[in-house]
Amino acid sequence: MSTARRIENSILTILTIVGAALWIFPLYWAFVTSIRSEDRVVSEQAGLIPDEFNLASYIDVLFNTRLLNWYMNSIVTSVIITVVVIVSGMMCAYALSQMRFPGRRLLYGVVLASFMVPTQALVVTQFILMNSLGFINTWAGIILPQLIVPVVIIVYKQFFDAVPKEMREAVVLDGGGEYTLLFKVYLPLNWGITTALAIITFIMAWNQFLWPFLVVTTEDMMTIPVGITQVNDAFGVFYARLMSVALLGAMPVALAYLVFQRRVTEAVMISSGVKG
Amino acid sequence: MSGVTLHNVRKSFGAVEVIKDVSLEIGKGEFGVFVGPSGCGKSTLLRMIAGLEETSSGSIGIEERDVTRVEPAERGVAMVFQSYALYPHLTVFENMAFSLRLARAAKSKVQEMVAEAARILQLEDHLHKKPSQLSGGQRQRVAIGRAIVRQPKVFLFDEPLSNLDAELRVQMRLELARLHKRIGATMIYVTHDQVEAMTLADKIFVLRDGVVQQAGRPIELYDDPDNRFVGGFIGSPAMNFLPGHAAGAGDGRVGISLTNAGGAAIEAQLAGGRPPHGTELTAGIRPEHIEVSGEGIPVQVEMVEDLGGVSYLHTRTQDGTEIVVERRGTRDNLDGASIHLGARPEHVLVFDRGGQRLR
Repeated sequence: MSTARRIENSILTILTIVGAALWIFPLYWAFVTSIRSEDRVVSEQAGLIPDEFNLASYIDVLFNTRLLNWYMNSIVTSVIITVVVIVSGMMCAYALSQMRFPGRRLLYGVVLASFMVPTQALVVTQFILMNSLGFINTWAGIILPQLIVPVVIIVYKQFFDAVPKEMREAVVLDGGGEYTLLFKVYLPLNWGITTALAIITFIMAWNQFLWPFLVVTTEDMMTIPVGITQVNDAFGVFYARLMSVALLGAMPVALAYLVFQRRVTEAVMISSGVKG
Repeated sequence: MSGVTLHNVRKSFGAVEVIKDVSLEIGKGEFGVFVGPSGCGKSTLLRMIAGLEETSSGSIGIEERDVTRVEPAERGVAMVFQSYALYPHLTVFENMAFSLRLARAAKSKVQEMVAEAARILQLEDHLHKKPSQLSGGQRQRVAIGRAIVRQPKVFLFDEPLSNLDAELRVQMRLELARLHKRIGATMIYVTHDQVEAMTLADKIFVLRDGVVQQAGRPIELYDDPDNRFVGGFIGSPAMNFLPGHAAGAGDGRVGISLTNAGGAAIEAQLAGGRPPHGTELTAGIRPEHIEVSGEGIPVQVEMVEDLGGVSYLHTRTQDGTEIVVERRGTRDNLDGASIHLGARPEHVLVFDRGGQRLR
């Protein structure tokens, strides 16, 4: 390696480290804050280096808030959203990609169009709808509007379109119908993208704030991101506790990310149109 | 008993008719080959027999049963695709067992039939592997194995050797011929390679623009083509065509004065009526029937391909018509030489202006 190349590499490495440090600092700060006492957090002596290891805020949020409830709500709603979105998206994409029926193109146009409407624009009508259905403060109320994820259909359709036609014909000649085609051939062939889409849908559902914040008003039914807002109450902001809840809330997603890192990156790239 | 029968079959895609009134019959246990240039409709015809394409009109019968409107899986056919179409996520065993499992066959029967197919195709050591771990030839064998376990009435092959290298093609061709002998089922094979057609077929169907040009045993088509297209398509190197017009005749023969050969003429045998003087004709002569002689068509040898046992002279007449000559058992170096070519009248085929054969 030439000297110039080595210097270039060193500069790039330093820049990357600086970038990583900038990115990780808020997380680090949240952690340092969460292990301090509330008094210490707001005192002038609080520096960058952790100077105490106080788990009081963690104990407090675990036992004095509805954190476990929020966990439960987040897990149940996110898992149901993930399963329903993936299964329905896959079936819809399969039909659009492989079956010939009148109105197919129009239907796909509708899917594409729905992709272009921001969810924020719909919250008022969705709220009114959920209210008339009596779904305010229920899991159903949190879940239903989040089941519309057109990007899953679009990505699946692209992948199904790419399966060679002969594969389908071989199954037809072997005596298989649409069920066999989808679940025994198309799905296993696209297992990679299925896990990727499932993980990203789960993360999106877990992090969803606006809609659950609107549709849930009782503390019992809140999901974690909404629950965090409850930690500052009439007594002011409790920074240490706030950060503890935030870190605990982010943990499942962070774990999922660490385990499925490659798949998640793949899914983000595909669904943002970089690849696919 | 017939294996596959087609009666006045037609197929249109929109306004374009790709199969035009095809009627043919392949006997039970026969090896039929559809051959023709790309776009001639041979694959479409095969896919219609498989049921993968709907038949616009006419009827298709398999062993005396009309299957024109029958679902592909119920027709008793199995197809081997050019791309193999193996299920990449399944092992060789699972690939071959797929159709049996779909039909809910007993576990022991699945085991037994896959094992038998694997034995025939020498795949026993690869049953646990995924297709991606196999070579091209092995994948092709798995595709054939998948067809065998279904015990179909008719095997359909859609250019199955096109993706293999030259050596493997020859080897697989022999294996297919052996397989046919062994299981004796009706087989239909589509190819654009006339060598494959000649070596495998009991009966060849030469197609062009959705019409069967001629059907018959390979050697019949080679020796006695019905038209210029068949004559040119079957045989390698291709038949030489020399344009000319009828000039003089006698004793079951017609003289053809060649247009582009410096006024040279050639005689052809004709049993039927002789065409009137001056009629436009084309003489067709196979490379192995052209002799280097003292007199005849004057040509210049442009290039010699020496293959050892056989050599091909690529020659050209003064007016630019190319004539290929096959020579055996000689080591004369004729590269660049000016020579004369001739052929015996019984080896000269005559085609009319429309390309139809005159006999």
